[in-house]
Amino acid sequence: MALGRRLRRLLDLRSLLVHWPWLVLLLALGVVRLSKGAAVVDLYALLSRPFWPGTAQSEWLRQAQHLEDQQKISLLQGQLNQLKADSALREQQGDWLTAAVISRRTEGWWQQLELGAGSLEGLHYGAVVTGPGGVLGRIASVTPSTARVTLLTDPSSRVGVTLKGSRGQGLLVGEGTSRPRLRFLDKDVEVQPGDVVLTSAASSLYPANLIVGVVQTVNSQALPAPEALVQLAAPVDAIDWVRVLR
Amino acid sequence: MGNLPLSRYQALFISGLLLLFLSLASPWWLKLNGVSPSWVVLWLLPWAVVEGPLAGALAGFGIGVLLDSLQGSGLTAVPVLVLLGLWWGQFVSSRRPLERSTTLGLLALLGSLLLNGSYALQLYWRGQSAFAAWQLSLAQALFTALLAPMICSLLVLFWRRRSLRHGR
Repeated sequence: MALGRRLRRLLDLRSLLVHWPWLVLLLALGVVRLSKGAAVVDLYALLSRPFWPGTAQSEWLRQAQHLEDQQKISLLQGQLNQLKADSALREQQGDWLTAAVISRRTEGWWQQLELGAGSLEGLHYGAVVTGPGGVLGRIASVTPSTARVTLLTDPSSRVGVTLKGSRGQGLLVGEGTSRPRLRFLDKDVEVQPGDVVLTSAASSLYPANLIVGVVQTVNSQALPAPEALVQLAAPVDAIDWVRVLR
Repeated sequence: MGNLPLSRYQALFISGLLLLFLSLASPWWLKLNGVSPSWVVLWLLPWAVVEGPLAGALAGFGIGVLLDSLQGSGLTAVPVLVLLGLWWGQFVSSRRPLERSTTLGLLALLGSLLLNGSYALQLYWRGQSAFAAWQLSLAQALFTALLAPMICSLLVLFWRRRSLRHGR
């Protein structure tokens, strides 16, 4: 009986009317959750605009980009003998946008960036983000003025990669540290520290032949296939500007 | 005591918003060797201790939902924050007094460990490994516990003043 009375009291229309501000608050929380914090991030972007990184690094980025392009060209020249030239060249001619990094959370369970450009600038879900040196990650969600990037080091990140010269295919798995783990698919792989890691042509998420990083250490005893730790080419902790493939 | 400019709900709302911005900005000067304290623990603990289990659980729910929205990875902090709010709210009664500020440090240490533990459990269920993050969690728990006696006892005073004014 007591339970029934309580239930009736809970469903009482009058108490509902009295507590409507709490219902509104609950609704608002739900909206924020479903919008992936769009309002909060946009407000943060608006308030933190005076503190966004200056343009000096933007210049430096352009120079670094020039350098990276030169590296990439020499890389591609070496591969032209083995691969069909078209696919590798096409990805270089994409439409790149430069965006500022306004928030960087690279500790622990998630590894992500917030960019100061969003859907208004033409960014979309899944777009590839690179920094000076190489690939950083992909865009996981966008708001009108910001975009959230899941880095290659995030535990949820899985990217198909290959060694330079198409010597070994593997999966680059983020582990929440600054160095993701490369799990090779084949048992017999000739891999040494210092080998360059590129995005694989088999990957559907990334364009082929973007520079990812360099093999740091190799564990050839790992089962079922060798593993390696990869040092990313783009220094996540130092980058204030990134490029996004639109 | 002079007139307080903010009611406690206004103060809670504004401090919660500041907490979200803090977790977004994560400035280097508030980190120790790349590790930042668990700000949400430092925020929720004093509120729950002063206002009781229900208010603590509701605040934990609200801030948990907001924090989840800022994380793209799909992990949730809501259940553990609600439980922490309920647990810490028990200290509002005189049966379990907060004897010393060291108790706050211990509560914050356990809260931070539980929060990170819930993330680890969720990653484990999803079949993803983040062993290295454990090291960081331990460091974060220690850092949080170190700051808690300082920050939380001030915040406890802050919330107590407001709740007294509102006739508690």
